[in-house]
Amino acid sequence: MNLKRIVSIVLLVAFLIVLVLLPLVIKKDNIINLLILVLLYMTLASSWNILGGYTGQTNLGQAAFFGIGSLTTRLLWIKGIPFIASFLAGGVVAVVLALVIGIPAFRLKGVYFAIGTLALAQILNITVGNMLPDMSYNPGLSNYQLAPRYYLFLALAVFIIGIAYFLVKSRWGLGMMAVREGEDAAESLGISALKHKLLALSISAFLTGLVGSAFAYYHVSYYLNMPFSPEWTFDPMMMAYIGGTGTIIGPIIGSIFFVGLQQLLVMNVGEWHLIIFGVLFILIVLFLPGGLVEAWTKIRQAFVRRKKTIKTQQPLNKEA
Amino acid sequence: MLQSLGQNLAFGLLIGALYGLVALGLSLVFGVTKFLNVAHGELLMFGGYASFWAFSLLNLDPFLTIPITIVFLFLVGALLYKLVFSQTVKLPEEAKIKNTLLIAFGLSVILQNLALRFWTADEQSITTSYAGAAITVLGVRFPAVRLASLVVAIIFLVALQLFLKRTYTGKAIRATVQNWEAASLMGIDIHKVYLLSFAIGAALAGAAGTLVAVNYSIQPAMGLDWTMKALIVMVLGGLGNIPGTLVGGLVLGVTESATSFFISSNYREVAGLVLFLLVLIFRPQGLFGKKEG
Amino acid sequence: MLSIEKINVFYSELQALWDVSLEVNEGEIVALVGPNGAGKTTTLRTISGLHKPASGDIRFLDHALGKQPPHKIVELGLSQVPESGKIFTGMSVFENLELGAFIPRARKDRNQSLEWVYGIFPRLAERKDQQAGTLSGGERQMLAIGRALMSRPKLLMLDEPSFGLAPILVQNMFELIAKVNQQGVTILLVEQNVQAALELAHRAYLLENGRIVGQGNSKELLSFESVRSSYLG
Repeated sequence: MNLKRIVSIVLLVAFLIVLVLLPLVIKKDNIINLLILVLLYMTLASSWNILGGYTGQTNLGQAAFFGIGSLTTRLLWIKGIPFIASFLAGGVVAVVLALVIGIPAFRLKGVYFAIGTLALAQILNITVGNMLPDMSYNPGLSNYQLAPRYYLFLALAVFIIGIAYFLVKSRWGLGMMAVREGEDAAESLGISALKHKLLALSISAFLTGLVGSAFAYYHVSYYLNMPFSPEWTFDPMMMAYIGGTGTIIGPIIGSIFFVGLQQLLVMNVGEWHLIIFGVLFILIVLFLPGGLVEAWTKIRQAFVRRKKTIKTQQPLNKEA
Repeated sequence: MLQSLGQNLAFGLLIGALYGLVALGLSLVFGVTKFLNVAHGELLMFGGYASFWAFSLLNLDPFLTIPITIVFLFLVGALLYKLVFSQTVKLPEEAKIKNTLLIAFGLSVILQNLALRFWTADEQSITTSYAGAAITVLGVRFPAVRLASLVVAIIFLVALQLFLKRTYTGKAIRATVQNWEAASLMGIDIHKVYLLSFAIGAALAGAAGTLVAVNYSIQPAMGLDWTMKALIVMVLGGLGNIPGTLVGGLVLGVTESATSFFISSNYREVAGLVLFLLVLIFRPQGLFGKKEG
Repeated sequence: MLSIEKINVFYSELQALWDVSLEVNEGEIVALVGPNGAGKTTTLRTISGLHKPASGDIRFLDHALGKQPPHKIVELGLSQVPESGKIFTGMSVFENLELGAFIPRARKDRNQSLEWVYGIFPRLAERKDQQAGTLSGGERQMLAIGRALMSRPKLLMLDEPSFGLAPILVQNMFELIAKVNQQGVTILLVEQNVQAALELAHRAYLLENGRIVGQGNSKELLSFESVRSSYLG
């Protein structure tokens, strides 16, 4: 391991320690809530990225997994089932759902897969809204504490980003990226497109489901069909694209950027941040598909090139 | 019982014609350019608002606002194509289709939030003086507004068909659909064809928006629901099949009504979506399309 | 009339044409022959603007063609009958021909052009309201050529007009092409059927693996031993 890697790891650990100690130092709830929001989006964007970014399958139905995870956890938890079990159950139910719909859904290719998943998510959205229209109230309201929620989201973020990181480095991750580049070419190399897509879907669904479960733990009271709403797919998806799909750090940057922009503009008027975000999204899809990560790389490269040209010019000046 | 079933069927057919018009623009654009414009619902929404304001401020009968809406959305569509979609035309097929989907989706977010800024989240509706009028035939009530909408929808469907089949420009568009390279070798400017198709598609969405404003209500977040309806109808009728769009619309309308009648009106949308998925998976060429060789 | 100088054409990373040069003078019939996959179709597609050359010059009547979109090139008077015709099968024979005269320059003379084309291809007149998709192979080729003629080209390029046709129809086809040439249309003919092409053309170029490997008067080329052996077998 070279010096650079060691420094990176030390910095990362130090950063995490800061994040862990934060609630003990800062007692202001709105800052903690803001951080939770960032972590929420970060985890959703990273989960989406596994299927959408690395495997190239545009999943417009992610809200279904988010929703079912939170629904499962909320219902079980309210019934008195211990939280850990309820929490994990959310993820498990999401995977089951993914497998049930995945096999028929993957008969659809490209664009049709996208609108098919959207239709599925909408079906769940409307059905849950019809069957469980009432507001869900938090049972343990009197002893609600923010810190455990914060730690749960933080742990989830580390877990999900960690999974994404190791997945990408694995053989499976390589296969997923091959599928993204071209299904037929991948198949001709012996890579089963269907298996890799199902795996990516399952992992993505499981992780998204867990985020939904955390959401159920976090929100005091909300309408049970709210997490099924399409914006829980679209916003993380835009964040992943703007940050840079197919990278680990892309969704992280994207989510921080999104919440930052939202906070910056909420002072002015309403939904400008979404409009700006939408414009940026389109610009990136058209001109900078690698997102902010690509932009950063290009800036660094240009800078390096400038440094090199300056260096080669110096001897000439010396002689003169 | 039979009476209300008949009433229900009538409603389904009347709505179905409107659904056909809603999908018409999307079908045209998809057929010609292979773009799936998921911002179609937002264009429809803007059409609805254009009519609403023309109705409120100028006191025009909503059906007379349709020419205004068409022209307005035609220009908006042309502008959107020139600014945004034309950039993707040079890409290879797969990347082009995926990117236009993403771009359209980004547009839908922008348009939805612009509408929110301009007009607030309040629901609006156009209520005419004759809103309550109806003709009753064999005990079945046909509201005047719904009938007028049916007529408008059919007029547009027929007009589009005539345009494509009889006019020189329309034939050039059809030629581009059949073989764009051969079309360009005839001296047909493919970019112009795409631009025109997109603008017409937007104009049709606008006209549909007027009908929606009169028959239902409009609000900035309505786009997605109507885009889904357009997608369902398009898939039912066969992708890019213009006459099939009317039939697809009728099928959806009747399906929704039947669901409303036999199950519950809360599940109308679900029925449509389920039908959509079934057709998409098991009969992708649509109920009336031909299987691709 | 048409001059191509050292064009290099790529499909992504793959080079398809290497320094290809050729010339067509007014009134001539020039043949571009070569085996399957030599790059003949690529050459025509590049001239017509469906593909852009990485380097080199294409000039037609003093206009530089390299960056023009296909429809502009047709307006200049250079039309192509693409490989296998690519007629609009969902439309009638008449509608196909009608679309052939799409450019403004040809539109005003449309009726005259129709008469002219029906004169050369009486079969098309007989079938004018028939769906193009129901025509036989030979008729489709005729329709494709007729359609291209509707744009009143000064130079007409044909990509393998004999492809898939029975020998007697091939003979017929080439006679018709000669007739069109006599009526004032310069011809650039791409063909795999080397014998027939060389018999029809004034001059010819040999294209192999993306390179011009021979050129000259077609009668001379016909008699060259090497040509005879490699192409006429």
